[in-house]
Amino acid sequence: MSDTAYVQLLDLACGAFLLAAVLVLWRRELAVIVRVFALQGLALAAIVAVIAGHDRSAELGALACGILALRAGLLPWLLRRALAGAGPAKETRPLVNVAASLLGAAVLTMIAYAVSGPLVTLAPSPATHAVPVGLTVVLIGFFVLVTRRRALSQVVGFLLVDNGITATAFLTTAGVPLLVELGVSLDVLFAVLVLQLLATRIRDTFGDTDLDELQELHD
Amino acid sequence: MSGWTPAGVLGAGLQVAMVVAGAPLLLGAMRQVRARLEGRAGAGIGQPWRDLRKLTRKEPIRPRGTTEVFRAAPVLLVATTLVVAAVGPFLTTSSPLDRVADLFAVVALLTLGTVALALAGLDTGTAFGGMGASREMTIAALVEPTLLVAIFALSVRVGSTNLGAIVTSTLHDPGRVISPVSLLAAVALLVAITAETGRLPVDNPATHLELTMVHEAMVLEYAGPDLALVELASAMRLAVFLGLLANLFVPWGIATGAGVAALLPAMVAFAGKVTLLGVALAAGEVFLAKLRLFRVPELLAGSFVLALLAVAASFFLA
Amino acid sequence: MAHPTTLLLAAPIALPLLGAAIYAAAGWRRGTAFTGAGCAAGLLAAGIALAVRTSQPGAAALTAGPLRADALSAYMLVAIGAVALLATAATPSYLRAELAAGRASPRTCCRHGVLVQAFLAAMALAVLAANLGVLWVAVEATTVITAFLVGQRRTRTALEAAWKYVVICSAGIALAFLGTVLLNFAAAHTPARPGLDWAALAAGATQLDPDVTRIAVALLVVGFGTKAGLAPLHAWLPDAHSQAPAPVSALMSGVLLTVAFYAVLRVKAIADPAVGAGFTRALLAGIALISLAVAASLLLAQRDYKRMLAYSSIEHMGLLALGAAAGSRLAITAVLLHILGHGLTKAALFLCSGRIQQSTGTSLVAGVRGLAADQPVLATAFGLGIAALTGFPPFSLFASELGIARAGFSSGLGWVTAAALLLVLVIAAAMAGHTGRMLLGAAPDRGPAGQPAGAGTGTAHRRLPAGTAVPLMAGLVACAALGIAAHPVHQLLLNAADTLIGAP
Repeated sequence: MSDTAYVQLLDLACGAFLLAAVLVLWRRELAVIVRVFALQGLALAAIVAVIAGHDRSAELGALACGILALRAGLLPWLLRRALAGAGPAKETRPLVNVAASLLGAAVLTMIAYAVSGPLVTLAPSPATHAVPVGLTVVLIGFFVLVTRRRALSQVVGFLLVDNGITATAFLTTAGVPLLVELGVSLDVLFAVLVLQLLATRIRDTFGDTDLDELQELHD
Repeated sequence: MSGWTPAGVLGAGLQVAMVVAGAPLLLGAMRQVRARLEGRAGAGIGQPWRDLRKLTRKEPIRPRGTTEVFRAAPVLLVATTLVVAAVGPFLTTSSPLDRVADLFAVVALLTLGTVALALAGLDTGTAFGGMGASREMTIAALVEPTLLVAIFALSVRVGSTNLGAIVTSTLHDPGRVISPVSLLAAVALLVAITAETGRLPVDNPATHLELTMVHEAMVLEYAGPDLALVELASAMRLAVFLGLLANLFVPWGIATGAGVAALLPAMVAFAGKVTLLGVALAAGEVFLAKLRLFRVPELLAGSFVLALLAVAASFFLA
Repeated sequence: MAHPTTLLLAAPIALPLLGAAIYAAAGWRRGTAFTGAGCAAGLLAAGIALAVRTSQPGAAALTAGPLRADALSAYMLVAIGAVALLATAATPSYLRAELAAGRASPRTCCRHGVLVQAFLAAMALAVLAANLGVLWVAVEATTVITAFLVGQRRTRTALEAAWKYVVICSAGIALAFLGTVLLNFAAAHTPARPGLDWAALAAGATQLDPDVTRIAVALLVVGFGTKAGLAPLHAWLPDAHSQAPAPVSALMSGVLLTVAFYAVLRVKAIADPAVGAGFTRALLAGIALISLAVAASLLLAQRDYKRMLAYSSIEHMGLLALGAAAGSRLAITAVLLHILGHGLTKAALFLCSGRIQQSTGTSLVAGVRGLAADQPVLATAFGLGIAALTGFPPFSLFASELGIARAGFSSGLGWVTAAALLLVLVIAAAMAGHTGRMLLGAAPDRGPAGQPAGAGTGTAHRRLPAGTAVPLMAGLVACAALGIAAHPVHQLLLNAADTLIGAP
């Protein structure tokens, strides 16, 4: 893969990755949010595949396929199954309205860019230049986790954080050791399963997955 | 590049002529496409020109109680749009007025037109005029930053905010068009232009219900030649915006050198690109419903964030 | 000597997994009830064996594949084993009372057994991991495993606590993962390329890029600090520890928090050579003060005694952070002693509180009256435990808190330590007040079947069963013995402290 083609493909994949995170903030309907999350998984797999093609590493290529299967296939399927049992599938008014959330996302982009300065200067390369994208998605994921009221939206926020960290890992050092990557993927999968199960139980007990109902434990 | 070359002067003059003459035709084509898709016969491409002719023959009439602002607004609107049509990189990038074709100057001129019309709406003292003016300014407050930031994102890599320079650099480096910066900026600009020119889903140009109007509400009190000027100006603004959108991202066909012979293919390319964009816009409108007014800031905030992301991407994505 | 070493290193993880398999296959019945305690005893024995092996000269660290044990890991295993033994030994009588009250089914008990054993295996893996990544995976695994244990009772409050627990802990741990990724990035650009192996990272730490390492260390401390119950992401702790069943709360408060703090200590050992000791010192001192302030302010008007114990855990984690901030040999030794003492005491206290809740039916302080007159053995244990927590001699917490305070004053953290001691005093007064209200006074009226009248619907009998009393007393006695004569663990403590700060 030639160098200019590598840079262009990498930038396109990173741009799509970031755009998916912004779309999760922009749209209200939970079904659309899950679909956008699946697209982000696709973009993440594309990032890893481009790096694999440039470094000519079969291990990274296999990892790209694994990421595609997990984050663009299995996790969205689990989320859709959890959504199928829910009633009205819209997001109840988020704590911060959509316009303010989007402007907040712009501020978070600036913060991520400022924080990742030392990271880029340590090893300047096309891949490291795109690290602010990963950090931005992590910050946007935390923002979604904190400002959304429905259980499923919080799960999507947590998964956005994980996607962002995985992207940062691959953009900085072409990943962490294989054992760790496997363990992390398993942990994420189990965490989502646990959260889905808890959400189902919450819906059975409280009648709806609006987390405003969970107010009994406080000091 | 600058300087009074014959090709440059001829190019600038032809640009103005094309925009003035072709804008109502563009509007007619868009209305015709929409009509055909909706199963109607349509009034034909020349209908806007026929309407303008009818309006200019009418008696000039002004409501009682209006001031110079009301009288000056249509003229100001047409004047600012003519200046932008003359300086923008539509047919040639070596126009003699190239130094005026700065990003901030062009957007400021277009905003001046918007503000003039809004003030005229307020000047009439009617309820609908005030309502239209306030809605227009709400939208403009979100759209102007988006326009500035989106085109600024393109200018970062060029190192200059001159529109002609941006177009020339894209001609020299075609690979830039599919970078995230260009794609994000294109989407942001498209949404901003839809809002600025009063097309669906922000404003319905064919509505006759006053409470849903934004642009039409401001010009309710205009009649006769004044109304003709206002209609011509809004058609020209649409043509100018679509021309900017086309040439900033797909500039092939534009004349760059001092040769007069390159102007003819440039005219054909410009007319083709703008017509294509207009027809696509009109076809898309058939499938969209107008957004409720309080949802419009959500859409515009989203396009602003996309423009900001384009700027951020231009700084750190290679 | 490969084979016995591998066995010894794998035993602490394999034994609990074996216990989990037994529970999964045979269910919860009289024969299998004490299997968990047996596996915990095995874990403790393996920890002691490792401690003996690593204290011999020339064998400072044992390695077998992805596992490594040095003196600190061995000490943590001893702590995990001791607290696990207490908790699992008291579990059968706790679950018997729950079954009798109809709050649990045999299937729930079986699942409880399996999950607790898996939990122990995950914690053992965390302290034996040679690789920061494997450490992270093990800590996240404990979150996932204990999620169901916290929500076991399926009430509204338990579900709410389980949801908050999983969401906040996973989010905090994700921060720790980002820190791990960045540390890996910094390590990849040194000549030695140590990867994520923490021993190699600590050895080559001076070559790490300071700016990137600073960001990574901040993320790691805040991320693992979330799991350790330190501010600012501590909001899950009172809910999770008060809603979980008593043996699980004992394990989580006694030992899971300190396993996460162990990760913070390992990170500090890497950070200090790389970015200078001042960075982690300031970070940990700030976190310690905020945690103590949060615990103090929310303990003053606390109405629930289980939440009171949970906030006390936050306080003690803050003290550990303060000791780590001081960083001298005395400070680290005191921190490690505090880990063991706090683990034993908090486990005993949570087991007491579980019994109190079963016999009075309420977890409110106002709902428990005259416990000393009504159930003297239980009340004695509870009172002694609270006394131990507030730092009374002869319990070991007195010695460790004194050590931390002395180290704080002599390391230049004078004002911080003074403020911390003031907050500890406030907390002690608050806890003593609440406990006095619960223990003292006349015994409450009881109905004909021995059930308490009035508030709550307690179902357990007044007499404390031996299955609960023995572990309770054993824990308190061990803590007192540790405070009087730390000889058995003295050398181990010194060795463990040396692995963190380098031998003097």
